[in-house]
Amino acid sequence: MPAIEVEHLYKSFRIPHEKRNTLFEALTGVFKPAPYETFQALKDINFTVEDGEAIGIIGENGSGKSTLLKLIAQILDSTRGKVNVNRKVTPFLELGVGFQPELTAAENVKIYATIMGMPKKEIESKLDDVLDFAGLERFRDTKLKNFSSGMQVRLAFSTAIQNDPEILLLDEVLAVGDMEFQQKCLEVLKQYREKGVTIVFVSHDLGSVRRFCDRTLLLNHGEQVALDDTEKVIDQYVYGEDASNMSSSDTEADTSPAEENSEESTHQSNKKVEITDVKFYDKFGNASNRFNSSDPMVIRIFYNAHKKVLDPVFGISLYSENGEHLFGTNTELRKVSIDHVDGEGYIDLEVEKIPMLTGQFLLTVAIHTHDQKTYDWHDRQYAFDVIPTSMDAGLIEIPCQWKI
Amino acid sequence: MVFKHLNNLYAYRELIWQLAWSEFKLRYKNSILGYFWSLLEPMLMLTVLYVVFSNLMRVQVEYFQLFLLLGIILWNFLSRATSIGMNSIVGKADMIKKIYFPRDIFVISSCITALLMSIFESLIFISFMAIFRVPISTNLIYVPFILIFLFFISLGLTLALAALNVFYRDVQFIWQVILQAGFFATPILYTIDIFPAYLQKIVLLNPVAIMIISARHTIIYSSPATVGNLTFMLISSVIFLIMGYAIFNRLEPRFAEEI
Repeated sequence: MPAIEVEHLYKSFRIPHEKRNTLFEALTGVFKPAPYETFQALKDINFTVEDGEAIGIIGENGSGKSTLLKLIAQILDSTRGKVNVNRKVTPFLELGVGFQPELTAAENVKIYATIMGMPKKEIESKLDDVLDFAGLERFRDTKLKNFSSGMQVRLAFSTAIQNDPEILLLDEVLAVGDMEFQQKCLEVLKQYREKGVTIVFVSHDLGSVRRFCDRTLLLNHGEQVALDDTEKVIDQYVYGEDASNMSSSDTEADTSPAEENSEESTHQSNKKVEITDVKFYDKFGNASNRFNSSDPMVIRIFYNAHKKVLDPVFGISLYSENGEHLFGTNTELRKVSIDHVDGEGYIDLEVEKIPMLTGQFLLTVAIHTHDQKTYDWHDRQYAFDVIPTSMDAGLIEIPCQWKI
Repeated sequence: MVFKHLNNLYAYRELIWQLAWSEFKLRYKNSILGYFWSLLEPMLMLTVLYVVFSNLMRVQVEYFQLFLLLGIILWNFLSRATSIGMNSIVGKADMIKKIYFPRDIFVISSCITALLMSIFESLIFISFMAIFRVPISTNLIYVPFILIFLFFISLGLTLALAALNVFYRDVQFIWQVILQAGFFATPILYTIDIFPAYLQKIVLLNPVAIMIISARHTIIYSSPATVGNLTFMLISSVIFLIMGYAIFNRLEPRFAEEI
């Protein structure tokens, strides 16, 4: 029997136009039903999760991820369809549910552990372990209200992991806490994986999803868009629907359009050669402006030479969102000589592996002569986003490995 | 289905107890007198009512202090269980929205909190019994039954109120008014025979009145509870419990959305 079965699951919420909050209003309004709208949060979701499988749920904000998780956790009730959960569920929707600020750390650990469904004897014996793991032995009898939020999260987490779950539901738990805490979470998650715990994992952090989930469900506005191997689904999410099937067709990209920039003060462009467009191509050959970190990319500069121009130089400069200059190169520096350009054409710059980890990046493109006379220059007019896929932190990835 | 749910509740017994006990502790955590507050409150009330009723109104009842105190303790239980319990769902919004277990656990545990407080109060009553040398009889065996009936009536009421309170926030104010009226309409301060016969019949439709009267008979006056009263209490507590669960279960699926 699979651990979780979801069949034709629908969930809609009623959003009343005016809220009737009192018995009086409800009685006086009996003959005048309150107008309301229904919001379809989930439409026809179908999937099963096998024992010991880890499944990821990804999608934009408001796509129904958390609603789905709450339906699995029985917190919400489905409008139509069925959710069958055949194992004991331990939800980590939020750490520290039921914490009482007026009680001490030890008392709260006991309450929280009971809420998570641990038997009493076990709690008593594990109390020291919990406080030790959280690094809070000294604060055993301190009231919780005197704890910092970081300490509270640590306490909650070390309590929660004492449990032996069969199905673990995780909703962005890893998003709270500092780096060290996140690392600890991932460690524990890995141990659960090895023990064969079934995991349902909702996250925006594609890196963690990629690392932990066998399969991934992609939701978009409450609809199930894809359910497949994590790699494939993440590619589809990042590069858009059916990216992998359309590799040959050259779709129109929605790259930031090259708006005519009138005040190009320092660079006097004589427009003998014009930059007509710049597009970014992903690994499937589709124009896009969203890329996975570490994926290949091709920057294609379209030009139109009104006359025959000999030996032009094409160059690019890459900027971060904040305007820091990250990188610049041109054909001259790379010792690529172009004999001449005439009429319309394009030139490609192939990036083997995008080294940036995350963020939006701006590109400047220029065509000039060897002695710095500009033909055309578009300053930071093209943008693309990089979506994180690894667990590393920072702006760029430095190829490296640890050795002892 | 009922059996399955009972089994389920049994599995959660530690949680029920933990919630009830921590709520009980919380109530007295920040006061200097601590738990003794809960003793002081009925004592003060008893003193005032005793002075007023025995001197001004010249009520002639044997063991009047005990008569009053028992009525107050039993009524206080009902009033506390419903008042604490009706906020047990609304006040635990974060838990309702983030984790699932049978939601009646919250209501049951707050009724148990009220029970703990009442048990504490009855320590005064027991010492009064000793001081006034009230004879103890075998009729005390009826007491646990009466208390269980009272607990079930309170639980039934609380379940309905807690569920309604999620949707209509004025329920708690309405209930406070009803409780006030109930305090005077129930023979707590007086004996039932101050009323003419036809009024007595109406007052005795109130199962809590029967419970208080029966409790006094068996505990203070060493007389057995009548079969008629026991049956009436049993039936009414079962009806209240069923009605409470019917309302609660009907509204429960929408708690997490509505709260």
